[in-house]
Amino acid sequence: MPITRRHLCAAGALLVSTLFGGCALAPPQAWERGNLAKPEMTMGADPLDQRFVQHIYGSKENASGGYGVGGGGCGCN
Amino acid sequence: MRSCGFEFQAMSSVCEIRLDGDDEAVLASAARRAIAEVRRIETTYSRYRADSIVSRINAAAGTGVPTEVDDETSALLDFAGQLHALSDGLFDITSGVLRRVWDFKCRRLPDPDRLGELLPLMGWQQVEREGYEVHLAQAGMELDFGGFGKEYAADRAMSVLADAGQRHGFVNLGGDIRVLGPRADGSAWRFGIQHPRCDADTIASVEMTEGALASSGDYERYFELDGQRYCHILDPRTGWPVRGWTSVSVTAPACVAAGALSTIAMLKGEHALDFLETQRASFFAVDLALQTFHHEQPDARRFDHGALP
Amino acid sequence: MAATDRRAARADKAGAIIAAALSLPGVMAPLKVFAESAPEHGEVAVKYLQYKDSQPGLERIKVKAPSVYVLAPLSPKWAVEGSLVSDSVSGATPRYHTAISGATPRMNDERVAGDVKVTRYEERSAYSVGLSKSKEHDYDSSAISFDAGFSSDDNNRTWNVGVGYASDKISSTNDITLHERKRTAELMVGVTQAWTANDLLQANLTFNSGRGYYSDPYKTPDVRPDKRTQAILLTRWNHHFPELASTLRTSYRYYRDTFGIRAHTLGADWVQPVGAMVTVTPSLRLYSQSAAKFYFDPVYDPDVGAPYPPGYFTNPPEFISADQRLSAFGAVTLGLKLAVKLTPDWSADLKGERYEQRSKWRVGGEGSPGLDPFSATFLQVGVNRRF
Repeated sequence: MPITRRHLCAAGALLVSTLFGGCALAPPQAWERGNLAKPEMTMGADPLDQRFVQHIYGSKENASGGYGVGGGGCGCN
Repeated sequence: MRSCGFEFQAMSSVCEIRLDGDDEAVLASAARRAIAEVRRIETTYSRYRADSIVSRINAAAGTGVPTEVDDETSALLDFAGQLHALSDGLFDITSGVLRRVWDFKCRRLPDPDRLGELLPLMGWQQVEREGYEVHLAQAGMELDFGGFGKEYAADRAMSVLADAGQRHGFVNLGGDIRVLGPRADGSAWRFGIQHPRCDADTIASVEMTEGALASSGDYERYFELDGQRYCHILDPRTGWPVRGWTSVSVTAPACVAAGALSTIAMLKGEHALDFLETQRASFFAVDLALQTFHHEQPDARRFDHGALP
Repeated sequence: MAATDRRAARADKAGAIIAAALSLPGVMAPLKVFAESAPEHGEVAVKYLQYKDSQPGLERIKVKAPSVYVLAPLSPKWAVEGSLVSDSVSGATPRYHTAISGATPRMNDERVAGDVKVTRYEERSAYSVGLSKSKEHDYDSSAISFDAGFSSDDNNRTWNVGVGYASDKISSTNDITLHERKRTAELMVGVTQAWTANDLLQANLTFNSGRGYYSDPYKTPDVRPDKRTQAILLTRWNHHFPELASTLRTSYRYYRDTFGIRAHTLGADWVQPVGAMVTVTPSLRLYSQSAAKFYFDPVYDPDVGAPYPPGYFTNPPEFISADQRLSAFGAVTLGLKLAVKLTPDWSADLKGERYEQRSKWRVGGEGSPGLDPFSATFLQVGVNRRF
C-alpha cells in the first residue's frame, strides 16, 4: 500500500502530540533558558556540514532553500 | 587563562570575588567595580550612617513627615512587603528594634518588660507607603535591610561583573554566593555548606554554574545558656529566637531569593520544608539532631553530603 | 511520563519569592548570552567532504571538497563569518533520463565558492550583510543578502526577515557560443519561538523569483521556462530531553514552484551524548517530489528514437526536459555522525550518510517510470577549534 500524504500527516500529528503531551505554550523564564543555549539546540547546526549537504541536495533534487537568504546558484550536475 | 580571587571585607564578613580570565588587569578592574557596588549598598542601607536612606526613614518615624525614596529603595521595600506576605508575617524588616534587647555579645536574656514595649513597634502593616514616600507610623520604629542586604549586594555585584564583560566567576559575601558563570573550562564551581556545629567542617557541598546559594543558621550569632541556644533569628510575633533547625541552605536563581527563603525557612520551624517545597526551592536543611533533609528541584544541582571532595 | 508530570508540577513556574526576587532591578544577569549579541567564542573549522553517486551500471559524479569556516567576533557588537570551499568534481552524468549509453564524457571541473557575512548586534536585534561568490568553468554566481532579526523583551521570540539577490552567468564547455544569465531575488520571513524550557520552534516562509536561463546545457533535449517562482515553508522543532541529555531535531519543508514541482522534506536527528566527550547523532531524511510540468517519461518517438519524445519534431513542446532531477521520486537518507570533544577548545567529527532515490518511493502520487535507482554516499571529516 503506497504511503499517502494522509498517512504522513497522521504520523506527524501523533509524534507532535506524544512529545508535547497536550502542553500549551509555556515560554521559559529567564533562569530556565539554560537548555535552549546548548549547541545542539540551535537551529543552524554545523555550518560547513549544512552548506555542503544543502548544496548537494540542491543539485540532485529540485527543492532547495528555505533555510535563509544568501548564497547563489551553481552549475552542478 | 588565570583564576583570580579578590578578597575584601564588607558587611562584617570576609568576601571574595573570583574571576577566570586571561588578563589579570582586566579582571582586577571588573572586581574593583563590583566591590565598589557592594560598598555602595552597604553605605546606602547602613543603620550606622546618619545620612543613609535607612537612617533618615528611621529618624522620621512617628513624626508624620514622610521620607522620599529612590527607585532602588522603593523596589526593595516592595520586595520586603512581598516577603512579609509570603512568609505569613514572619519575615518583617521592622523587627530590627529587637536588637535593643538581645545582646549576643553579653549573653543575656532580655528583660521581659522591655521586650514587651518593643512588640508594638514591629509590624510591616505600620509601614505607610504612598508612591515613593515612606513613613513609619510610630516613633521608635526602625527599618532594617540586614535581612537581605548582603544577598542583594551579591546579586548586584554579579550584575556589575557581567556588565563589565566577565562570564566566569562568582561573588561570595560571607557565604552568600551568586555565580556569574562556570569556570573558564565550562566546569562548575563547588561550594561547601558549613557544618552548623563544627566551624571547620563542611556538611555538604553543591556544584553550580549559575544561580545562588545562601544559608541561614543558628550558629552565626548566638549564645548558649543553661543548655539552650539563643540565636539571632527572632520571631517578630514573640520577640524570641526560633528553634528547630541548625541550618537551612537554599539554591535559587538569585541570592536575594535564596537568602530570604533560607531565613523564612528557619522562622517557619516545623513547617519549613513544606514552605520550601511550595516555593519550589532546592534546599539542604539540618535539624537539631543533625539529621539532614534535602530536596532538589528538577534541573537543579544535587547537594552532596559530606566534606568537600 | 516523567517529563509530563514534571511539566504539570511546574505549571505555575517558579515559587512566588523567586519570581519577586527576579523582578528586582539589577538582580538578573544582563541576558547577553541569550539576547542578540556577538558569539562569545570565535571558531575555525576545517572539513573535508567527499561525495560519490551512482546508478546501477554507472558510477556517476565524484566530488572532493576541502572547506574552511571562520567565525570571528570582533567585539560584543560585531561579528564576521566566512567560508571557502573548493570542489573537485569529476565523473559523468546521463544526458537524458538515466541512459548510460548517452552519458556525457567524463569531465573534471573545479568549483571555488566563498561567502562572507558581517553582523551587527544591538540590544534586541541583529543586522547582517552577506556576500557570496562561486566560480567554475561554466558557471559564475554572485549574490548579496541582508537580514535582520528582532527579539521580544523576554527573548523567547525572534522575528527574522531577509532579502537576497543573485546574478548568475552560465556558459557551456559543449557550446562556446552559450552565454546566458539568470537573476533571482529572494525574500524570507520567519519566527523562532522558545515554546518551553526544552523546546525551540521555527517557521520560515521564503519566496524566490528568478528570470533567465534555467535549462541544463549538458542535457538533451532541455528547454526550460525563462522564469521561475518558488515558495517554501520550513518548520523546525528542537526538543531537549533533560532526563536523557539528548535532543531531537526535526524539520519539515514544503516546496512548490512554477515548474510544477511540489516537494516534501522531512528530517530528524537524534543527538545523543555518550559520556562526557562523545556525541552520537543518527539521522534520517525523507524526501519526495512531484515531476515538473514539462518533464517527460522515457518513452521515445518510434521513428526518431531516444532521446526525443513522441511528436517532438511534428509538434514541438514549448518546454521540455528529460532531467532525472525534475522527475517524480522519493528519497531516503540515513546518516550517522560521531563528534568528539577532545579538549574544551578542540573537537573533531566524522559523518557518513547513504542516500537512495527511487521513483516508486514518491509520496502522494505515482513516481516517474522508467528511471534507474540513484544512490549516493556522503562522507565528512572535520576538526573545529574554538578560541
